[in-house]
Amino acid sequence: MMFLKIRKRYLFYALALTSSAIASISAGVDVIAIRKYGEVYEEAPLLYGFSVFLVGFIITLLFCLIFSIPYKGRSLGSFLDPAFKHLRFVRKEEIAYHLLAGFGNAITTTGYFFVLTVMPDPSTVLPFYQTVILYLLLVEVIAEKNAPTLVEIQSSAIVTFGAILGSLSFKGEIDLSALAIVFLVVNPGWVLLSIYQRKLKLLKIRGEPNDSLNIRFWNILFSLAFMIIIMLILGQFFKKPLLTIGTESSINFFWLVSVIATLAFFSYIFHIRALGIGKASVTQAVKATTIVFAIPVTFILSMFIPIPFPTTPTLWLIRSIGFILVILGIISFAITQVRAYIFIRAAPGVRVAKLIEEIWKIKGVDSVSAVSGTYDVIARVTTRTLLKGYERIVKRLESIHGIKEFRWNSILKEWENV
Amino acid sequence: MIKAYILVKTRVGKLEKVLQKARELKNVESIAVVTGDCDLIVKVKVRDTEQLLQLTDELQTIDGIRQTTTHVIEKEITL
Repeated sequence: MMFLKIRKRYLFYALALTSSAIASISAGVDVIAIRKYGEVYEEAPLLYGFSVFLVGFIITLLFCLIFSIPYKGRSLGSFLDPAFKHLRFVRKEEIAYHLLAGFGNAITTTGYFFVLTVMPDPSTVLPFYQTVILYLLLVEVIAEKNAPTLVEIQSSAIVTFGAILGSLSFKGEIDLSALAIVFLVVNPGWVLLSIYQRKLKLLKIRGEPNDSLNIRFWNILFSLAFMIIIMLILGQFFKKPLLTIGTESSINFFWLVSVIATLAFFSYIFHIRALGIGKASVTQAVKATTIVFAIPVTFILSMFIPIPFPTTPTLWLIRSIGFILVILGIISFAITQVRAYIFIRAAPGVRVAKLIEEIWKIKGVDSVSAVSGTYDVIARVTTRTLLKGYERIVKRLESIHGIKEFRWNSILKEWENV
Repeated sequence: MIKAYILVKTRVGKLEKVLQKARELKNVESIAVVTGDCDLIVKVKVRDTEQLLQLTDELQTIDGIRQTTTHVIEKEITL
């Protein structure tokens, strides 16, 4: 039992790191697959993108059904995500989020495969992905009314610069057209996917937390729907039956694509679970380690397909500095978080049920409970700095009518049963 | 299903040992070391009040625990 209790922060990093390790292997297999597609089809990135969703849907459905099998009073999938019970229908309140996340996934994936055809070395493509953290910070500032702290800005800048340095190709070149696709198509798509997946994860389904397996399943179904629309539109444009060719290519390369779909399934499940714990930008920062994992993948890949190797030590030095910066940025993100329990006493005559709803509205409150005992309410909060905790939480608590007194208890260390 | 917060006060110098023992207990969802009025906040999830009593009994028998206060959760809103 004891080994199951690990520190929550470690769980978050374990999930995000596993997700990025799998993602980098998946990126390596993508390169091989896209080459194979290129040997047969002209529109390789588009067809491959479609296959990834079509085969991905079948594989995800299969996994979700297997994980729905009950075992010792819980489902098999609950070992991956404790909130998972069984595959279920999408709920009305989820549809809007799924539409946006699915659209984001469809465009980010297709864009990404276009980039892969231009730059075949995954270790030079993946880092560009990491700059998405800047978009996420910006969106969090606007959408969650959550101004980033200096640490968040600094860490993001470090991660981004590190990613750019680490992304120099072995020839020492940066492809501008690929960069444009990443910044204008891939990253905005990924932002949509990340933000709405997080919103889905935080959504309550019949009072219970939402689970990452159902989110992934429905996300891939919605993405496939968008992909079919994209294929139909482009089919009209190119005057080709792209949908038919796409289905045919999915059958021809079913086994290869199913390997990628399996890797992607697990990478996403861990990523979505991590998103439920940490902010989207922080999860993204940890995911930046993908670029470090991508190096061994590139080496292994070079045994199968020709990838140019570094020619100068200077290039190696620059790339190494890049990786060190990425890791440093992530560490500074990790160590700057303050969590606390706040014990609250309500004033006489105040309805506690209403009071906890008021407290729940405060940004940074992770949970709020009405309790019996010395106190009336216990809230658990997370904030980047103590100053922000004062600005965002303490000031708001003081303005709530019905609170007689409250006590802030900073958490020094925490374990959680997983 | 009953959830509760158990606020634990420990004797000086015993915190680490109490922590080790508390982590071995069943039905404990999370343990936090905090600053303030108490030293530990243990969140538990039990089947019924009988099990809650059993758990608080087990906690109280840990050497180094000075006082426990149980706050049963009546309603919870969480992420």
